[in-house]
Amino acid sequence: MLFGIDVGGTHTDAVLIDKEVGVRAYVKIPTDPDDLLGSIRGAISEILSQEKGVEIERFNLSTTLCTNAIVQDLLEPVGVIVSAGPGIDPHKFSIGNYYEVIPGGLDHRGTEIYPLDISHANKVISNLLDYGVKVFSVVSKFSPRNPVHEEKIAELIQDKADFITLGHKLSGQLNFPRRIATAYYNSAVWPIFDKFLDSVKRCLEEFKLSPQLNILKADGGTMPYNTAKRIPVESIFSGPAASVMGIFGLCDITEDTIVLDVGGTTTDIGVLAAGVPLIEPENVRLKERPTLVRAMKVKSIGLGGDSAVRVNGDKIEVGPKRLGPCMAKGGDVPAFLDALNCICDETYGDKDASFKGMHKINENLKCSLEETPIRIVEQGCKILKKEVSEFIDEINERPIYTIHELLEFRKIEPKKIYLMGGPANILKKFIEKEFGLPVVVPEYFGVANAIGAAIARPTMQAELFADTEKKIMTIPVLGIKENISKNYNLKVARKDIQKNMSIYIRENLGWDIDLSELEIIFESSMNMVKDVFTVGQDIRVKCQVKPGICKDYENVVRCVCNR
Amino acid sequence: MQQVKNKLGVVFFPAFDWAISPTHPERQERLLYTMDQLKEEGVFDIPGIREYKPELASRQEIEKVHFCFPDVLSNITDSHLISAGGCIKAGKLVMEKKEDKAFALVRPPGHHAMKVVHGGRGFCNINIEAIMIEYLREKYGVKKVAIVDTDCHHGDGTQDIYWHDPDTLYISIHQDGRTLYPGTGFTSEIGGPKAKGKTINIPLPPNTSDEGFLYAMENVVLPILDDFAPDLIVNSAGQDNHFTDPITNMNFSARGYAKLSEMLKPDLVVLEGGYSIQGALPYVNLGIVLALAGLDYSYVKEPDYDPKKFEMDKRTMDYIKRICETARKNYFSPPQSSITLEKDGNWIVRNKEIFYDTSYIVERQKEYILDCENCRGVLKIESSSSRVKNCLAIEAPINCCEKCLNTAYMEYDKAKEKGYSHIQFIDRVNKKVLR
Repeated sequence: MLFGIDVGGTHTDAVLIDKEVGVRAYVKIPTDPDDLLGSIRGAISEILSQEKGVEIERFNLSTTLCTNAIVQDLLEPVGVIVSAGPGIDPHKFSIGNYYEVIPGGLDHRGTEIYPLDISHANKVISNLLDYGVKVFSVVSKFSPRNPVHEEKIAELIQDKADFITLGHKLSGQLNFPRRIATAYYNSAVWPIFDKFLDSVKRCLEEFKLSPQLNILKADGGTMPYNTAKRIPVESIFSGPAASVMGIFGLCDITEDTIVLDVGGTTTDIGVLAAGVPLIEPENVRLKERPTLVRAMKVKSIGLGGDSAVRVNGDKIEVGPKRLGPCMAKGGDVPAFLDALNCICDETYGDKDASFKGMHKINENLKCSLEETPIRIVEQGCKILKKEVSEFIDEINERPIYTIHELLEFRKIEPKKIYLMGGPANILKKFIEKEFGLPVVVPEYFGVANAIGAAIARPTMQAELFADTEKKIMTIPVLGIKENISKNYNLKVARKDIQKNMSIYIRENLGWDIDLSELEIIFESSMNMVKDVFTVGQDIRVKCQVKPGICKDYENVVRCVCNR
Repeated sequence: MQQVKNKLGVVFFPAFDWAISPTHPERQERLLYTMDQLKEEGVFDIPGIREYKPELASRQEIEKVHFCFPDVLSNITDSHLISAGGCIKAGKLVMEKKEDKAFALVRPPGHHAMKVVHGGRGFCNINIEAIMIEYLREKYGVKKVAIVDTDCHHGDGTQDIYWHDPDTLYISIHQDGRTLYPGTGFTSEIGGPKAKGKTINIPLPPNTSDEGFLYAMENVVLPILDDFAPDLIVNSAGQDNHFTDPITNMNFSARGYAKLSEMLKPDLVVLEGGYSIQGALPYVNLGIVLALAGLDYSYVKEPDYDPKKFEMDKRTMDYIKRICETARKNYFSPPQSSITLEKDGNWIVRNKEIFYDTSYIVERQKEYILDCENCRGVLKIESSSSRVKNCLAIEAPINCCEKCLNTAYMEYDKAKEKGYSHIQFIDRVNKKVLR
């Protein structure tokens, strides 16, 4: 059985999924932001009280712990040590309180152009240790091409630090400032996350459970306990990804689709391209700093149940601010959910309070009282429509570098909308009308995020880079650096990256992956020419295991949506 | 966080699947390391710098600028439609005020492509700047445009296209034509009879380094631009003046290029040549991007750059100063031509022979420009090449007078009887092309 749990900002959702019957139990409890472990414990005990004596194979956890730690600045001081060649002044990328630039540099092919100043590095390190710095991040410019400077600096710290993040181990993507920010945050959240993971493990033991513990990532994949301890930063922003994975698992989708998850403060917009969740290799921003954390392409907009409603002139405005809870839940300001409350048959909280809110809004409007909530909801849907179409335009504007791709470019054109979150059922017909598209509200839409977490499986991306002039092949994230012959080519490179990734996945992620799941998403081989002679090939291959769901559970989960 | 002074759009299209031939300078690899450098620097993450993808230019947009014989499609590949479309996209970004400036970092280049096209010259088939400029004129009513061509090779194609246009100022800084392809661009070339002083050539001697280039900028280009007061400044940013370029002999640096961009303040920048794909392009392009956005570029430096190696001696600097003085005068008080113009009735006639080195084609042209008192006059070209013989081209320019427009139509009707193999008539007044 699978146990999926999403510890969100407001709610903690958990589900138990059986291989034979699908969802066996689910629970939604409020999250205690000061005691996430308590929320997890609460959810487990609720589920276990519904279903006794179950055998849990995998326990998949999506948590906001790292995100919160970053937002609230509960971070460990990190010694960030960088080396850079020519280009933008590396001091401009400074992050944290201990940012040090060591002389030394590589060029775009990974050739050392300035040697690393080891004695300077030693001095910097011993100073940082004196300040009491215990965790470090080491990043050099162009390290995915050649990690030598990062490795040399790491050697100097190795025995003196609790934890070191090396830039090239995070991603093979080129982007020095992002690599710096990602490495910084990875080390900065490490102590708190590491401790948390251990306590989750102990908590499971208390319940006499010993499942494989996995952490959900922002790209909708999972990583096992051991990997999570090495790259905790990958656990940020997994919530929206869990929701998209939930829809992906619940419904059999083959076309371009929008997923809308209407929450309390925000609505998350996700996109499936021909039924496949759209991943962005560089998506997540942390405190305005873009990172290399791979994430599902999701946009959060300031429109949710508690979004404040007001009248400006003769126009209704909804959101983006939340001024406390909606009136139905004791707030002072009429909110989007109050409008929804007034037009649905069911009652949410204090319905009279919601009506009072509508009166308040109606005072400044020319329309009738009955019309008021409808106009508010319509306005909310208008905002959604505008944001969604801007989001789709942005996706369709993404840069392309080959003639073939440009001529073959397939625009994303959504054909359907999947709606989830609290008010999904009431919103359905309004969204249908505004978008002119069919809207589906799947069963279990309230805990789709937990279902998504439960059925998610590992994801991964790696880049191979080979230079047949230098006779070197590297796969930075796997720490592979091999000598190759002059005849090395794209065909061999493809095999190499797939082979090495499948070994890594088997040994580290505990999954016997089928080669067909290792998808080559980019490849190129270009002549390198000196004067007029071809001196070698510049070969690049990018391979991914895209987000997917556990095959064994696909059918039982999916039939729920088709009913 | 870096704060831009100008919002910059970069239309980046490296065309990783297109080459003239596998080891040709204009090959797949050309912008590979530039891409690596720009990505590694996180340039497109800087708030205010945004990457865009190109559009495809249409056949019609090309036909409004060029006379292509036998037709457009037999002269180009998809890559040309994309690089021209990339420029158009850049132009739109600025005209529609989405960005303050835009850089079309696209290939293949275009500044050797002339008004008439029978094939490829100097790696160029169609003139991507001219296609962009004429698109912007037609769509947004832009009138006065200045093109500053900083490619190491003389932009003979752009010069040819705008030779008779008094509303387009073309300034080219390049390596002396006696020492480099295409062998033109001397100070004596100053524009046609109706556009005298609107073509300015600054041929610099081999080994000119930052000091020489920046002297020419300061003392010729900027004062002329000041006086001309264009609506739009376009920089044809070839990067082959670089000291590592394999096919030229100049000593310009990445920081020099950045400084030049900072001084010029162009609205639109279009990549032209530049074939030192590892040693120069990654740094020069980075320098230009930072300078355009108004960011610090003082750390942009080629690994092997030593300014001391490229100091200029006094004799060469004196020579450059003299060239600059002549170029200045050519604009502010253009000299009378020493050669009497050949005339045929009211038409001023020029004979030209053009060699298409990339396609290995020879073309002979007889060019007629109507000597009109009210406008720049109708253009008529009889052209024959080793590929296509007996072609006729007629153009009624964008602001042409009614009389000239009538003449152009009469010429077109007359020509149809005369058995030309191909006729193309560009009517810019009514925005149409007849073939």
